[in-house]
Amino acid sequence: MKRGTMTRVMVTGVLAALFSGLASAHHSTAMFDWGQEKVLEGTVTKWQWTNPHTFIWVTVKGPTGAAKQYGLEGMSPSWLARRGWNGRTLATDDKVKIAYFPLRDGRPGGFFVRVTLPDGTVLQGLPGAPSGPPPAPAPAAAPKAAP
Amino acid sequence: MKPSNKTVALAAAVALVAALAGCSKDGAKPASGAAASAAAPAAGENPYAALAKLPDWSGVWEPAMFARANAPRPSGPPAPPKFTPRYAAMYAAYQEKNKSTPGLNFVSPVANCVPPGVPGSMQQPYPIEFLFTPGRVTIAIETYSMVRRIYTDGSPLEAEPDPSYQGTSVGHWEGDTLVVETAGILPETSPINGILGHSDKMKVVERMRLTDPDSLEIKTTVEDPEVFTEPYTSTFQYARHRDWKIREYVCAQNNHDFVDEKGRAGFSLDHKPGEKQ
Repeated sequence: MKRGTMTRVMVTGVLAALFSGLASAHHSTAMFDWGQEKVLEGTVTKWQWTNPHTFIWVTVKGPTGAAKQYGLEGMSPSWLARRGWNGRTLATDDKVKIAYFPLRDGRPGGFFVRVTLPDGTVLQGLPGAPSGPPPAPAPAAAPKAAP
Repeated sequence: MKPSNKTVALAAAVALVAALAGCSKDGAKPASGAAASAAAPAAGENPYAALAKLPDWSGVWEPAMFARANAPRPSGPPAPPKFTPRYAAMYAAYQEKNKSTPGLNFVSPVANCVPPGVPGSMQQPYPIEFLFTPGRVTIAIETYSMVRRIYTDGSPLEAEPDPSYQGTSVGHWEGDTLVVETAGILPETSPINGILGHSDKMKVVERMRLTDPDSLEIKTTVEDPEVFTEPYTSTFQYARHRDWKIREYVCAQNNHDFVDEKGRAGFSLDHKPGEKQ
């Protein structure tokens, strides 16, 4: 099975198990292409340690050099704080890699799944998502390759 | 859980002392099992003293389903609900959506930061805590910082309570089980995931008890003759954390999700007014 499909099935299955029988979660995930991970590399503009969702605003340099700002919402501090995250986990100007489920409508945004910090630490942002970074397209020793 | 002989003896002793002290509280439900909360205290008695006889529900309770993705359900997967035709059609549409679209597919005004109603407020992913005070059990819920007040002083449930998100609740102890009855839940709320709306006849009964020293089970029965052809029961488990603290959760703090006037889910990339870009 392709990795993307495997992620989709795994995350859907876990979420179905987590949320089945509930009267309601905060909101549906209909706006996101749930389970289909994309990865971006960029610089943190702002890390919002807020409810109902944490938020990472991150600037990504496009292939032609033009910068685009992405807005990624994540799990609440209610979930993240009990798993090692806090209001200082990310800071403005941090260079990060973020795996996320993108907005279906193509706008620069989505729901963050996993974050690789400047020091290489990988943090899970979503219950049940596969741990570990997405497969790198080039060996670590090589000069910086495109994601 | 049957009350132990010691509990029964204590209950009898308390009742006797109250009678001898000329306690004249009327309307109190006869004490069954744990005698703590229904009867008013005798003159001069500290009303908090009776609370010591209640089971230990201290600490902070985490919904077990969210502690571990594969947490076992003791009673197996819930039986499917039985709906009246109108609501069966709504539920079928929701199930179709679940088959075709991964993720969470229930769209409701909760995305706009209004509370989910009951039993939804008891089925959120974050912890809860129980506060015992004379004649009352108060449930503080981390998600959306909600509070439910359950009157255990023997007051009957009003015939037509003013509708509200948390409804109006009364409760009584049967042994170490707290039985809560709730009515007057705002009819635009959700009785079960996948269904939006219900009638003013909706009633919820919850039976809450410890199943082991650090596990709490809540068996919830929802009935509404306009929605269900028979009452629907589901079970929710909680795990105790004595060292956890309930966090604040203000939904309106930084909400980028919404549901529009046509009931469609949306996501805003706008910054909040005054927020630095």
